[in-house]
Amino acid sequence: MADIKLDISPMYEGERIRKDDLWVELGGPKADGFELSLSAPMDEIQDGRVTVIGPELKDIKEGSTIPFGMIFKVGGEKIEKDLESIIERRNHALLSYISGLMHLNQRYDIWMRVGKSLAKKGVTSWKEIFTPIIDLYKAEMPFIEKMEITIITDPAKVKEELAKAMAVYKTRDERAKGLHDEDVDVFYGCTLCQAFAPTSACVVTPDRPSLCGAITWFDGRAAAKVDPEGPQFPIPKGTAMDAVSGEYEAINEMASKRSGGEYSRMLLYTFFDAPHTSCGCFETIGFYMPEVDGIGLADRDFKGATPNGLPFSTMAGQTGGGKQVVGFLGMGILYYLSPKFLQADGGWRRIAWMSKGLKERVKAGIDEDMMAKIATEDDAKDIAALKSFLLKVDHPVVNGVTRKVDGKKITEGWVLEDISDEIKEKVLAYIEKTGGDINIDTVKSEMALSENQFMQVVEALQADGVLE
Amino acid sequence: MGKVIAVTGKGGTGKTAVTAMLIRYLVKNSGKKYRILAIDADPDANLADALGAKAGKTIGDMREFVQQSRFTASPDTDKQALLEAKLFEILLEEEGYDLLVMGKPEGSGCYCFVNNLLRAVMDKTTANYDLIIIDTPAGLEHFSRKTIPDLDDLIVVTDESRRGLTTGERIRDTAREIELQYKNLYVIVNKVTAGSKDKVLENAKGIDLLVIGTIPYDESLAKFDLVGDPLMGLPDESPAVQEMTQIVGKLGL
Repeated sequence: MADIKLDISPMYEGERIRKDDLWVELGGPKADGFELSLSAPMDEIQDGRVTVIGPELKDIKEGSTIPFGMIFKVGGEKIEKDLESIIERRNHALLSYISGLMHLNQRYDIWMRVGKSLAKKGVTSWKEIFTPIIDLYKAEMPFIEKMEITIITDPAKVKEELAKAMAVYKTRDERAKGLHDEDVDVFYGCTLCQAFAPTSACVVTPDRPSLCGAITWFDGRAAAKVDPEGPQFPIPKGTAMDAVSGEYEAINEMASKRSGGEYSRMLLYTFFDAPHTSCGCFETIGFYMPEVDGIGLADRDFKGATPNGLPFSTMAGQTGGGKQVVGFLGMGILYYLSPKFLQADGGWRRIAWMSKGLKERVKAGIDEDMMAKIATEDDAKDIAALKSFLLKVDHPVVNGVTRKVDGKKITEGWVLEDISDEIKEKVLAYIEKTGGDINIDTVKSEMALSENQFMQVVEALQADGVLE
Repeated sequence: MGKVIAVTGKGGTGKTAVTAMLIRYLVKNSGKKYRILAIDADPDANLADALGAKAGKTIGDMREFVQQSRFTASPDTDKQALLEAKLFEILLEEEGYDLLVMGKPEGSGCYCFVNNLLRAVMDKTTANYDLIIIDTPAGLEHFSRKTIPDLDDLIVVTDESRRGLTTGERIRDTAREIELQYKNLYVIVNKVTAGSKDKVLENAKGIDLLVIGTIPYDESLAKFDLVGDPLMGLPDESPAVQEMTQIVGKLGL
């Protein structure tokens, strides 16, 4: 076997093995298949070894499809568990570098084809294909000090090992889902939509996917790896200037550069201070309603008017195009599931209204105690109705929001800026009618006043000398 | 990448039939010289049907699958690799050629990212072929999204009418507007009735269009169309097939 020299080059990466050129098909839509990369202690790895469980390549009928599993064991001083999936994701490229070998998809969906061209070269064993793979890995990832490969072609054994691999994938996914902004050193930027929104500079973090919803932090990482000069690029995050509002020097610099100097600051978790730029086709929009000191949220599929009288399309038109508009913000759906969701503004405690479809879609992310307190189009179609709803459910915006992230009280609750004669008369009439026996529920429902606002009027009446 | 040829034209001109006949001719007569990829980019036509292939899922379906995968797949899924695999899954490997069906356009939402992935995957896919033949609607929409590669030859199929020929002019304008690059613009005039060939050529010359074939009105072809039989089965001596010899020659194949 020492004589066989495979053609190995990145130029073969997109090579397809067509049906006519097929020697053996591994996994794919018609058979079980999996790939699994595992880290192991150095003394448990026999470097360079390829073990085969099941039929050898030369003994498999030409043109057939077989169940297939491959387990790569890697070891090295710098190798941690977290690197396993990163190493595994490189399988697609590195295996494809071999001319005559096609590798598609990942994990339990792998689909490989060995081409007849390898048979012509004299290849007969799995070892001849996979020994060079070990060299490729070590060359590209020098932190891999030892590597050994197990190839499984015995159908029953593939099934058995696949079941074990599924458990590993599951654990990895759970860890990935629990990944937060503080756990990573690099965020990713995206300027893919600058064709439509020239000053838009999207930041993609584990907690905050792109506004369009399509790009997660993992996608940013994958794309930036392929082409760091492309539309998705790394932002080494450095230390936060303000962890609550999500202000980072590196992001400010990026925003300034990528917006062509239009913006000099851009904060991740807020609506009110240098909010994230909004592109052209964000999935949802948030809008501040000063009348209730709360935020409303609508998704693209909601065609009606929100309580402020504007439909999604109008607000999106005003906000989009790469603008930074205080009081309006485009957001991707997955951001709603993050604990960092608008955390500087009070998070869910600041949300007063949502389109029903959106509320249903992201309910897993909504704080449980807020679920019933957020109105939808069924509860409120305008500001007046929204006010009575919020009073009725005792929404935090009414008496002031204490934000969850640091326990700081950030809003004062509803206050009457101008105590009109009309409202004074109303309150006076109410006090006379009840003979001073005040029921706060009636105050809310009949006069649409919060307790604080009611007391404001009473104090004004006392100052006027009308009340004692 | 190999040579890329797009066949376009208005509905009813027989554009899809001409595309199918071109593929039929190459598969039967070029002795496997070319690895051929056929792309059905016209949602209103049915190239697969004309070729006798059984089409299933489309590129549009797979794009949607990947678009939704953020809710369903594992978080660290490489979406480009996923799309690449999904596209290979729907590739129809037929006798002498492969076929991809573009399918429906995007739904609502932002497809910037997934279309970007699609461009990369399509570049990789098309690099595997010597000849790529695309059946595309006259609006050339897929080209404006750059999801299919730039062209060597753009062929406009028209009927013999003077008005039909002006489609060629309009497509030339559309191509310019969307900055579609091509080397040659050709016209194939279909369903030409006896005695009108000279007039057709004269008309075309008047608006600076190069006609590379005039396909006579063909009884056998009409019959195939009537029953809906795939055009792969057309007899070699059918006048339409005969004309293909000349067309293929002019295309330098």
